[in-house]
Amino acid sequence: MKRIKNHIDELFKDIPHNHETEMVKQEIIENLEEKVFYLMEQGKEQEDAIHKAIVEFGDMEDLKKELGVKEPAKKSMAKLNLEFSIWGSGLIIAVFIFMNLYYTPHTIWAIYPIFAILWWPLSMYFVWSRKKWSE
Amino acid sequence: MVRSDIIRGHLDAIILRLISEKDRYGYEISQEISLRTNNRFQIKEATLYAVFQRLEKKDIIEAYYGDVSHGGKRKYYRITPLGKAYLSELVKEWSAVKEIIDLFMEGLE
Repeated sequence: MKRIKNHIDELFKDIPHNHETEMVKQEIIENLEEKVFYLMEQGKEQEDAIHKAIVEFGDMEDLKKELGVKEPAKKSMAKLNLEFSIWGSGLIIAVFIFMNLYYTPHTIWAIYPIFAILWWPLSMYFVWSRKKWSE
Repeated sequence: MVRSDIIRGHLDAIILRLISEKDRYGYEISQEISLRTNNRFQIKEATLYAVFQRLEKKDIIEAYYGDVSHGGKRKYYRITPLGKAYLSELVKEWSAVKEIIDLFMEGLE
């Protein structure tokens, strides 16, 4: 059974190591061992059974495509931009409201800069949602 | 043995059909495919696990660990409600495709 594990380790060697790929690897080894046991029950020698299981496994191209491509790095960037813009504009808006209420409580002027600043999170929201749609 | 690249586009449907009958694990599925097709089509294990990964990411199937076999714990797959809807779409699509291809293939030797 060591040969099955070695073979799969070899196939997985240029796939990034993480929890997900480790789980897939374990699953594949488990199922291949089961296949070997089944073939032996059918009367095959262990050597033959292992060989057959390995040959029939096929090539890794599809699996590599599923496991190799990692995209979360880019995706979280748009989200981070959006979060930063919301917090940033929130703080600036708070300052304007404070200044307005504290120094000139009878004239409302803070609404004008607030309106201008709101374009920042709005544009970030646009970038974020456009990214989400295109995925 | 049928050329596997023709069947390739329908692997989702084949695998979902088998999982929708009952929850199954990897080797069971590849065995069942060989059995039902009388060995005319055998799925490569590597391909099978790639399909599992893709379907699981799309929430079409979900995995859980079941009973212990010779080696370790078996990983079973079950179909989700989304998966059932997807499968019935695939069935409709296939019957449409079959009709179209039949238009050109029938009546020839």
